[in-house]
Amino acid sequence: MANDKLQIRKLHTLSSENRKFSFSLPLRHSIKIGNRNYEVQLKQDDKYGTYILWKNRKYPVEIIRSRQNKYEILFNDISYTFTVETPFSLQRMKVLSKQKGKADKEVVKAPMPGKIIDVLVREGSQVLRGEPIVILEAMKMQNEIQSPVSGHVQKITARPNTNVMKDDILVEIKVD
Amino acid sequence: MKIKRILIANRGEIAIRIMKTARKMQIETVAVKTAVEPNALYLSFADTVFDNTEDSSDIPVFLDIDKLVDIALKTGADSVHPGYGFLAENAYFAEKCLQNKIEFIGPSPDAIYKMGNKTIARKIAMANKIPMASGHQGNVSNEEEAVKIAEKIGYPVIIKAASGGGGRGMRIVRKTEDMEKMFQIAGKEAEKAFNDPSVFIEKYIENPKHIEFQILGDKKGNVVHLGERECSIQRKHQKLLEEAPSGALNEKLRTEMGKIAVQIARAVGYYSAGTVEFLLDSEGRFYFMEMNTRIQVEHPVTEIITGLDLIEQQIRIANGEQLRFTQKDVRLEGWAIECRINAEDVQAGFAPDPGKIEKLSLPDDKYVRVDTGIQAGSAIVSSYDSMIAKLIVRGKDRKDALQNCKKALDKVWIKGVKTTLPFFRMLVRHPKFQSGNFTTAFIENLDQYHSNSEYEEMLAAWLATKLFVEENLSDESINIDFRNSREFSPWLLNKRISQF
Amino acid sequence: MDLSGKSYKTFAERREALKKQYSAKQAEKQHSKGKLTAQERINLLFDAGTFEEIDAFVTPAATPVEFGKVEKFYGDGVIVGHGKVNGRLVFAYAQDFTIMGGSLGLVHSKKICTVQEMALKMGAPCIGMMDSGGARIQEGVASLAGYGSIFHNIIQSSGIIPQISVIMGPCAGGAVYSPALTDFVFMVNHTSFMFVTGPNVVKEVLNEEVTFDALGGAEVHAMKSGVAHMIYDDEENTILALKKFLSYLPSNNVENPPAVPADDTTPPINEKLRDIVPDDPNKAYDVKDVISLVVDRNTFFETAELFAPSIVTGFARIKGKTIGIVANQPKVLAGVLDIDSSTKGARFIRFCDAFNIPIITFEDVPGFLPGVDQEHAGIIRHGAKLLFAYSEATVPRITVILRKAYGGAFIVMNSKNLGGDFNFAWPTAEIAVMGPDGAVAILYRKELAESKNPAELKKELVKKYRDKIANPFIADENGYIDEVIDPAETRKKIISAFEALNNKWVKVPSRKHGNMPL
Repeated sequence: MANDKLQIRKLHTLSSENRKFSFSLPLRHSIKIGNRNYEVQLKQDDKYGTYILWKNRKYPVEIIRSRQNKYEILFNDISYTFTVETPFSLQRMKVLSKQKGKADKEVVKAPMPGKIIDVLVREGSQVLRGEPIVILEAMKMQNEIQSPVSGHVQKITARPNTNVMKDDILVEIKVD
Repeated sequence: MKIKRILIANRGEIAIRIMKTARKMQIETVAVKTAVEPNALYLSFADTVFDNTEDSSDIPVFLDIDKLVDIALKTGADSVHPGYGFLAENAYFAEKCLQNKIEFIGPSPDAIYKMGNKTIARKIAMANKIPMASGHQGNVSNEEEAVKIAEKIGYPVIIKAASGGGGRGMRIVRKTEDMEKMFQIAGKEAEKAFNDPSVFIEKYIENPKHIEFQILGDKKGNVVHLGERECSIQRKHQKLLEEAPSGALNEKLRTEMGKIAVQIARAVGYYSAGTVEFLLDSEGRFYFMEMNTRIQVEHPVTEIITGLDLIEQQIRIANGEQLRFTQKDVRLEGWAIECRINAEDVQAGFAPDPGKIEKLSLPDDKYVRVDTGIQAGSAIVSSYDSMIAKLIVRGKDRKDALQNCKKALDKVWIKGVKTTLPFFRMLVRHPKFQSGNFTTAFIENLDQYHSNSEYEEMLAAWLATKLFVEENLSDESINIDFRNSREFSPWLLNKRISQF
Repeated sequence: MDLSGKSYKTFAERREALKKQYSAKQAEKQHSKGKLTAQERINLLFDAGTFEEIDAFVTPAATPVEFGKVEKFYGDGVIVGHGKVNGRLVFAYAQDFTIMGGSLGLVHSKKICTVQEMALKMGAPCIGMMDSGGARIQEGVASLAGYGSIFHNIIQSSGIIPQISVIMGPCAGGAVYSPALTDFVFMVNHTSFMFVTGPNVVKEVLNEEVTFDALGGAEVHAMKSGVAHMIYDDEENTILALKKFLSYLPSNNVENPPAVPADDTTPPINEKLRDIVPDDPNKAYDVKDVISLVVDRNTFFETAELFAPSIVTGFARIKGKTIGIVANQPKVLAGVLDIDSSTKGARFIRFCDAFNIPIITFEDVPGFLPGVDQEHAGIIRHGAKLLFAYSEATVPRITVILRKAYGGAFIVMNSKNLGGDFNFAWPTAEIAVMGPDGAVAILYRKELAESKNPAELKKELVKKYRDKIANPFIADENGYIDEVIDPAETRKKIISAFEALNNKWVKVPSRKHGNMPL
């Protein structure tokens, strides 16, 4: 039963504020504004590093993080977080969020006793699952505590330079 | 010139700034190399570098009075310039230098001490009938007294640290119920920051403009002012952008305030460069706040509109020379704006973003001056400050300066750390900023410290999409040649098969 | 197509009926839950036009006793067959939840066994996409027997062909052993779950309330139980990742993994590697930064990322050839070995060994995790698994010691005496029986107790220990390390080491199998 019904022809890229940017595939190196197509190029050289060339202007870019289909991009000194969805996965997101009802909250606890060296996020910041959120010093080593979920930080209980016991609450995250 | 060799008791951009002028004046300079940044740019501007990298003391060398004096003596420096921050306003340091016959390029220890202690400064101002925010003379001993004072002055009031500024030990109190808590917090903070929990209380002026006057005095008693700087663009008492002159002052107000600034300076026999800070309320009334007895970060904007080299003036004054001009000779021409570009994340509330500067490209147009201590490859270290560069732009008037600022900001290219550039790019296009009608409350009241650009977001989205396509939908993955998985030596094939 | 004539007419009619069975309305049942249909999953996995379905028209078996309705659907709720994935022969089965809830009956299980047996005969990988309500109650013990056959087949093929399970819906009760026995498990977040006993029974028996997701969702299995190795937020990404993953694996245990054209954009010498390990021995770094600079650009595919993060496992390519990586992660729990990381590492190593994939080990381990929990739960047994797996492996094994390598953990992480082929160390390596603090406390206990300034003395002694004992040069000079290398040259050294090890063959003692501690 060979069928091509599910070939991916379009991608929807969502920003963290849920703005949608749609691109058809194969991905062209140009973006249409109004009636005109403007060329976009990703380039790299020794003087400027990685940049995007658009309408004869260079914009510095940096790919800060990429995980599966989630990307954090620093574009002209402002960082944006996107997830790239296929039409079906977009539909799926809508279906799942309707089912979710009450938003989940994830509590991050200290896995062992130690001293908080640094808190890497602020209340309100967006985090991706796996992203480091707290540095805890224990056993003479600095340990990175990672966020177990993607969401945004609701409450920070951990304070730098304080000691914590095992299972002390460090950060509360509201799941997206 | 008596001064022949200056020890720069500082680092980063101000060290370079001082050394550039010293070179112009053919004076030798000594810089101190530390383990924290052994390859810093400022070291290459000095004639002599004192290697302090083996120092394992907990006190950073730029805060170590005895060590600095020792280095000066060892390197044969006959003078010290403290820059700003560190020990610049430490009267004991100035005193120790003078005791060791090392010229201190700054004011007298006495002036530093008097103006450094806010309570004493207020007393002096009061004795000279300088307009001030009504407040209580002397330090406040406890919460009960605080409440009494506050009720007499009238809320809102502000609790301030007697021994220091910069926002620490400062708390605004709007009602009696909050006084106890705020008094305690302010005191604790002051103790932690300045080793002195003493606080005083004065009336809090809502949403003022912060206007400061540059003072220059010589050891012969001549004092002039070099005009004002507009420093209301602040966040949590940290200045972000400064201008000279201020659009809020007319000639009359400038003359009036300038006269008062000079008066205060004279009252403590001030010489060298200094800054008198005022608050200007919406009715055009001004109030003396404090005096800073050092060269300030934002001095370049004054240099541009007066045509003077303030570091050169400081050195000459320390050398015993008389000011070569009088107040009548001081002319303010044109407009200057300074943007402090720091390694901070404006999307995370200006949180520091230390790291290494990978690429750096700064504009070099006629209307731009860049003061920096950083080059490509430099590390922004969290133990010092997060400054990358000061972008100083000039114009024939404010509108022209703003235009030039926009152009210059778009030409700055920094990769490797997050910077405050998005903030300035937003600010110079913000109607309120353009109008000039802003107060110190302006930045605090902003929802967002950068502006959204639809096109830029779209381009970033395009890039994310491109990465996704390359990683997951690329046709290249179809080009896996599985035949090569059967290519290996007969030796190996034989062994693998015969194992079963 | 004009199919006139009697025999062709039936042929055409049946085809129409099958098409009708997989109608858009049927598909909507899955789509409305955010899930794809079994057909769509198959189409996404296989290269266009290459999938050949087997036994599409079988119907459910007759039940021994009439109990409950059994509808006569074609296919009995599972699509099986073979096709090409990125040009390579792969066998797969995908359970269809829209047909009798994807429940497993006799015929359903026979179809799965058919592809499993074919995969074994042809020496090709076998993929299972699970989306099933479980055993078909109506068919009774025949369903259970069906599971038994499937498990048996997996075990017979284990270590001979790669077997991968993708959980795309419910997989409960006995059915979970299928994925548990396969080599790797992929799961889809929020719409798939695995548990032996479901929330309903948990509530009845233990009076504990728990949701499906909290009991056996993808995140639970990826982070806590270690049953799932790779999880993704939607089905398309899961299948695309699976395709990418397959490209690292050989078709069977005699062939080599496929090689892609060598990527020459990765420099063999990279000075950035010298800057990664911080000067402060207590400061952490990310070992994945090391990995990404050593392997071919963008080829690192991490497995079991969220489970036991103090050890990193995954596949990568060097000069286009697949290699397996095991690395201690200093920024999590200081990179210690504990029960979970030992088992994670051991399983990965044994997979690589079974399928002729060479292994590189990046070592920075201060020891095993201390604690009553670990000791009582058997860190002794579980740590031994890692030791066993390394020693038993006959594939080329290279170790690069980046920083700490203390005590038992040094031995366990593929040391030379366990049969490591090439053991390199960076100049920042600290190879010793124990760390400086512990050693100094023991050896100079008296002096420290009597000292006027013990903190200062300790600092001095620790520095002396680091300089004189806990360095790689002693090990190098005594032959326990092959070479102390310039970190910048790591990739270059590894490439030449693997070239030398290309034809490595070690005779395994003939025995039925070893007795690995379990």
